Amino acid sequence: MNENIIQVPDKSGISKIMREIAGDLLRQQTISLVIGWEKGILPNKSAPAFITQSQDAEKLIFDEYCYHNLTKYLLQRKGSGLKTAIFVKGCDSRSLVGLIQDNQIAREDICIIGISCPGLMEERNIVIPAKKCEICYTSVPVEYDFLIDCPETKTANDEPGGSYAHRELPRVENMTLDQRNIYWQKMFENCIRCYACRNTCPVCSCKECCFDQANPTWLGKGNSTSDNGFYHLVRAMHVAGRCVGCGECERVCPMNLPVMLLNNKLSLSIEELFDEPPASLSLDVTATLNHFKPDDPEEFM
Amino acid sequence: MTNQPLADNPNTSGQEWDPKILVFACQYCTYAGADLAGLSRLQYPTTTRVIRVPCSGRTNPQFVIRAFQKGFDGVLVAGCHPGDCHFATGNYFTRRRYLLMTRLMEFVGMDPRRFRVCWISGSEGPKFQQVVTELTDAIRPLGPNQKLRDIEPSVIGGISR
Ligand code: SF4
Ligand code: SF4
Ligand code: SF4
Repeated sequence: MNENIIQVPDKSGISKIMREIAGDLLRQQTISLVIGWEKGILPNKSAPAFITQSQDAEKLIFDEYCYHNLTKYLLQRKGSGLKTAIFVKGCDSRSLVGLIQDNQIAREDICIIGISCPGLMEERNIVIPAKKCEICYTSVPVEYDFLIDCPETKTANDEPGGSYAHRELPRVENMTLDQRNIYWQKMFENCIRCYACRNTCPVCSCKECCFDQANPTWLGKGNSTSDNGFYHLVRAMHVAGRCVGCGECERVCPMNLPVMLLNNKLSLSIEELFDEPPASLSLDVTATLNHFKPDDPEEFM
Repeated sequence: MTNQPLADNPNTSGQEWDPKILVFACQYCTYAGADLAGLSRLQYPTTTRVIRVPCSGRTNPQFVIRAFQKGFDGVLVAGCHPGDCHFATGNYFTRRRYLLMTRLMEFVGMDPRRFRVCWISGSEGPKFQQVVTELTDAIRPLGPNQKLRDIEPSVIGGISR
C-alpha cells in the first residue's frame, strides 16, 4: 500500500475524484480499461461502467445504489496481459484479495482504487440502509493503490461472522433438527436454480463450474428439490473459507431466499474452529481450506 | 454416476431393516484395515459398501451428498490418522474440510448420526468392524434416510441385500 490517499469533504465529492483518477490513468495509457459505476437507466439503480477513453471518465459516479461488486469482471481479462483499473468499496476489496489469493488475477495487472464506503441504501426503500450494509465488516478497503477517503465512512462492525446474516443465524440454529430440515427443504423447494447466486458470487471463479459439467453430470436439468439441495450445499462448501460475506448472492436471488445463511454458518464455524480471521482480509495468508495446522481441532479419533 | 438408486426398499418386508452404509476408504489405511477385518474373519454388517479412494482428501463433499441423494442411509469417510498420510498432508486437509461439512449437514437438518468421519489405520481391522457396526446400530432406529433424497424409498428397487 502506498500514500495515495485522497481526502474528500463529503460523500458527494467521491464521484469527482473518481473521474479525475480514471481520466489521469487513461491519459497516461498505463491502463486500458477502468471498471466503475455509472447512472443506470432505472431510478435508484446504478450500473457497471466500462471506460476506455479518458473523456468518458465523466460518466463515472458513486452513489447509494452502487451495489455491484465489479471484481468478477476482471476474470474476463484474465491472461490478456492488459492492465485494468477497478473501483472497489470496502466489501468488494475483500473479494479482490480472494481472487488474487486464488491466482485468478495478478496483483500487478490491476490498479485498485478503493472507496472508503459511506454505505448504500435499499433500492426499493431509499431511506433504509441496504441489507448488506446493516452490518458492514470492512468499510475501508483492505487493499488499494489509491484510496478515496470520505469522512462519512460507515463504522465497521467487528462482530464475528463478518456479515448481516449472522443475526438470522441463531434463530435457525436454535431450531430442532427436524424444524431445520423443514426450513431448508422449503428453501430448496422454492429455489428455481437460476444460478444467479452462483454467477454473481465474486469468489466463484471456475472456468467450468461443476454444475455445468456434462461428464460427470452432477445435477439434472430438471428442477428437483433434492438437486437444489445438492446445489446449495455444494456451493456453500466450494466457497467455504473464501466467502467474503458481501451478501450479493442473497441480493440477486429472485425468490428472496436466505442463500447466504449457509455461507454464513460456515464462516462462523471457521472462526470458531480454526481461530483465524477471514483469509480475505490480507494478501499474506491463504484461504482456510487451502492450508491446515497440525493441531487443528480433532473430532474424528 | 448412474441414476440407479442404490438402496433397498425397507418397507416391503417384515424382516429387520438394515441401513445401507457407504464407506469412502483411503487406499493406504482404511481400505487395508477393512481388508484386515475380512482376513481376520471379523463380522460386520453386510449392508456396508466400500469405495476405495486414493486418499481421504480425495473424498469430495459432493460424493457424500450424492450418496445421500441416491439412497444411502449413512456415510462414513475414513482415512489415515493425522501424521500417517501416504501423501504426508492429505488427511489434514480432509480434517479441516469435514469439520465444516459435518456442521453444515447438521445445520440443514441431517441427523449427525448418519454421517461420520473417522481415522482407521491399516492395522486397525477391529476398529473398522467396530465403527461400521456402531454406525449401523445408530442408524437402525432412525429408519431410512429421507433427507436430500432424490427418490421416494417406496418406489425404488435397487441392489439387493
Ligand atoms: S457492506 Fe460496507 S463496504 Fe460494502 S457497500 Fe455496504 S457499507 Fe459499503
Ligand atoms: S457466497 Fe454470497 S456472500 Fe459469499 S462471497 Fe459469494 S456472493 Fe458474497
Ligand atoms: S438466486 Fe435464488 S432462485 Fe436463483 S439459484 Fe440462487 S437461491 Fe435459487
